[in-house]
Amino acid sequence: MTTAALVHVIVSGLATGSVYALMALSLVIIYNATRTLNFAQGEMLMISTFVAWSVQQTFALPLGVILPVAVLAAAAVALVFERLVIRRAIGATHWDVLIITLGLSLALRAVAGLAWSHDEFPFPSFFPGRPIALGPVRVAPVSLGIIGASLALMLALAALFRWTRLGRAMRAVAQNQRAARLMGISVERVYSLAWVLAAVVGAIAGVLVAPVIFLSSKMGLIVINGFTAAVLGGFGSMPGAVLGGMLLGVLENLAPLYLPSGIRYSVPFIVLIAILLVRPAGLLGRIEPRKV
Amino acid sequence: MRARWALGALGALLAAWPWLAPRYFVFLASLILVNAVVALGLNLLSGYTNQLSFGHAGFLAIGAYTAALLTLHAPAVPVVATLAAAGALTAVVGLAFGVPCLRLSGLYLAMATLAFGFVITEAILNLDGLTRGADGLRVPVARLGGWALATDTARYYLVAGVTVLLVAAAANLARTRTGRALLAIRESEIAAQASGVPVARYKTIAFGVSAFYTGVAGGLFAFIVGFLSPDAFDVFMSVDFVVMIIVGGLGSVPGSIVGAAVVTVLHDSLAGFQNYRPLVFGLILVACMLFMPGGIAGFGARLARR
Amino acid sequence: MRSVMCSLVAVLTLGASSPATAQPGVTDREIVLGCSNSFSGPLAFTGEQATKFGVDLYFKVVNDAGGIHGRRVRTVYYDDGYKPQDAVANTRKLVEQDRIFAVIAPQGTPPVVATMEYLEENRVPLLFPFQGSPVTRGRKYVFSGMTLYDRQAKMMIDYLAGQRKYRTFGVLYQDDEYGKAFLTAFEKDLGRHDLKLTAAESVKRGATDVSAQIAKLQAARPQVTFLVLTPGPGAQALKERQKIGWTDTVMVSSGPLTDERYLALAADAAEGVEGLSLWPDPLTSDLPGVKAYRAAMQKYFGKNEPNRYSLSGYFAAMLFTEGARRAGKNLTRESLVTALEGIKGWDSGILPPITIGPDHETQRQGFWVRVEKGRFKPLTDWLTSD
Repeated sequence: MTTAALVHVIVSGLATGSVYALMALSLVIIYNATRTLNFAQGEMLMISTFVAWSVQQTFALPLGVILPVAVLAAAAVALVFERLVIRRAIGATHWDVLIITLGLSLALRAVAGLAWSHDEFPFPSFFPGRPIALGPVRVAPVSLGIIGASLALMLALAALFRWTRLGRAMRAVAQNQRAARLMGISVERVYSLAWVLAAVVGAIAGVLVAPVIFLSSKMGLIVINGFTAAVLGGFGSMPGAVLGGMLLGVLENLAPLYLPSGIRYSVPFIVLIAILLVRPAGLLGRIEPRKV
Repeated sequence: MRARWALGALGALLAAWPWLAPRYFVFLASLILVNAVVALGLNLLSGYTNQLSFGHAGFLAIGAYTAALLTLHAPAVPVVATLAAAGALTAVVGLAFGVPCLRLSGLYLAMATLAFGFVITEAILNLDGLTRGADGLRVPVARLGGWALATDTARYYLVAGVTVLLVAAAANLARTRTGRALLAIRESEIAAQASGVPVARYKTIAFGVSAFYTGVAGGLFAFIVGFLSPDAFDVFMSVDFVVMIIVGGLGSVPGSIVGAAVVTVLHDSLAGFQNYRPLVFGLILVACMLFMPGGIAGFGARLARR
Repeated sequence: MRSVMCSLVAVLTLGASSPATAQPGVTDREIVLGCSNSFSGPLAFTGEQATKFGVDLYFKVVNDAGGIHGRRVRTVYYDDGYKPQDAVANTRKLVEQDRIFAVIAPQGTPPVVATMEYLEENRVPLLFPFQGSPVTRGRKYVFSGMTLYDRQAKMMIDYLAGQRKYRTFGVLYQDDEYGKAFLTAFEKDLGRHDLKLTAAESVKRGATDVSAQIAKLQAARPQVTFLVLTPGPGAQALKERQKIGWTDTVMVSSGPLTDERYLALAADAAEGVEGLSLWPDPLTSDLPGVKAYRAAMQKYFGKNEPNRYSLSGYFAAMLFTEGARRAGKNLTRESLVTALEGIKGWDSGILPPITIGPDHETQRQGFWVRVEKGRFKPLTDWLTSD
């Protein structure tokens, strides 16, 4: 394996890893604010990407509309679902919400299949296909583009959480819901905003990754990679989600080079099981003692 | 008194079914019973000890392939022993998986089981020298004594017999010490632990028994379906089992059976509308959690109280 | 309680009493056909095109003209998602519950091969599956629907090694019966030319990422790289090849892969790719049968673009109709088999004249194409595989 080829593979891995990181971030955003896992995160991403693509194709609009339409679609779906369904189950345990979001993911995938069929569609890429040569190394522009866009988004999120009022409110709710409420923060509003924010991040991730993996109704399965990335980095920690995502992406790309090629699809599951057995707190997380 | 009449009528229906129904419905009934056993096993784990599993299709696959390969390579072994072996091997795998997962809490455990289910099917796929991998494995006809179970009716009676035994065992579980311990754990793990119940031990037992049930069901599944391929034992099959126990009612034995029947029949009748199937199941899940959290069993209990 | 029991038994006996028909799937007014096919998963597009826009298209024409000896044809389809176990379950349902007369145009080597034994046991004809595994050759109730893989491989190797004088070959194949059938055939045919395969990499069925395999194949530097895949990973292989700048190999697609679909997914990465095409160009061919196909498509499914998948389904229905017509008013499974076996030199207006012998192979043809400006350009006439 030449160094050039290796670099190419690692850069590809960092690209898909960035998307996993975004996926992980959206899962963590919802979890931190509401203590629930949204099983349907991937399907929401998939639906918003499909809607954006449909709109662009049907009305022959410039490619630039895809991103804003995807974001709007995602926000709409998230808001509707959170208000209509999750709110109703507000007294429920996290089990119930998990099952509800599971049901939602099934339903969304079926709706996508009915609306667009279960086929695979080529998705327009904002970046050219021909590789860029950096010395002896060849890198695909789409990989660099994904990494760049993801990093920009992650920085924006970090800024949001640190410096804006909304971000501080979300962090407060994540730390202690009751105290936050006593301080005058509307927990319900934070819930809704967490869902919308997570969906928006997911939509951007979807638009970035669709050119690479083709647009199809099973795109939502990427949520499993996102979850593994989050756990790998330490579930609940945002820097952990980013680190976990990048690491998982690179591992997925390196494994089939040195091991039988079929191992690629098992990597997220093997990593998940390994981390849960060996160090459930992940790389950057801490085990919180349970108060009885 | 009424319950005993109902049970007797049900038993008569069960015994007479192949004479009443056309061939395809005999097969369907066998499938319902097999799914009921899996639902019972899953309920034992999830309904009683709150360890939700999204990987039970993996256990089913282990049981199915074990039974198929045993019958293929050791046809002299009587089918009952084959089923027991399928259950035992699956139980061993279940324990091997369950023990390290004891310290994982609900959400992590659920995702770990999902990963487990996938790893199992990948393993079956890759051991293609043994299992014929992606091309699939034809299951030889089961033999009971010298008699080949070559018709749907013969297989139905095997399935019905085994199912009745396993259902009776599960129903009796509630009366034993293990059953009471499991119920205690379900109410509150912390309180149970504080009361001296060795929670870890019982959770492990639950894992093992659940896997055993599902493994036996897997063996029966292999015989009635006749052909296995690893890609059919996917996460969607595991989700189907979860839907069965949610719809039927967590922790309920009759609920498991009713849930299995509802889901199996619905799955089959939507065969021409495959595109709508996940939508229907998804909506059922959401509706159940919002409006009928106790499942059909809970609903039935409420009706009985009126 | 007792009344409940009584009504339950009544309902059951009513439902259970279905009159035993002499020939399942055939009545005075209709013939029922069906198959388990892919409507989801990696072959969803090809499955939908071959059945709903292919088989059904031709039967619409037939039904509108009065049917076959006055019988309309109705079709039933179930989705197996390219999974053999589901294909078996669906096929059982079709035979036992829907009581179809014959299975027509199912798709995919592993699913079809999985159902073969059940269909043979129950003496149900398996007609024209969209797959070419040699195990379907020479069985009483099975008629192939695609040039079988060993013939395809022979044509490909004879052309590339014989005519074009290539020496080194690599292959990226799907890791199941479809891919392995080609692999074995390639090795055998290369042996006849005193050559060996330089490199072989496999991809799991259903997987889309092939970057590692392409990297490994590049390292072996073959002059020709065969792709024995489904459209998704096939297109990915071409895009990956473009990404890493691997230009000094000729990518060649297998028969089932050579279609506009895989081109559409690969976009400009497909320029210069070659392959064995099993069908004339559905969009431009002037053959009378293909023109009739286009006219029918325009009439009934105006928005659907013609492609080789719907053309193959259309042809399957056409061949069935020919066989059923020859079998006459007394249509049974046996009479259909006999009628099909009697077809010699039949001109469909789409393919070279069809002669079906005891091996029940209905197709033996293929010709070479290369992608130029997004379309397949023929480089040869029909090749021979005998």
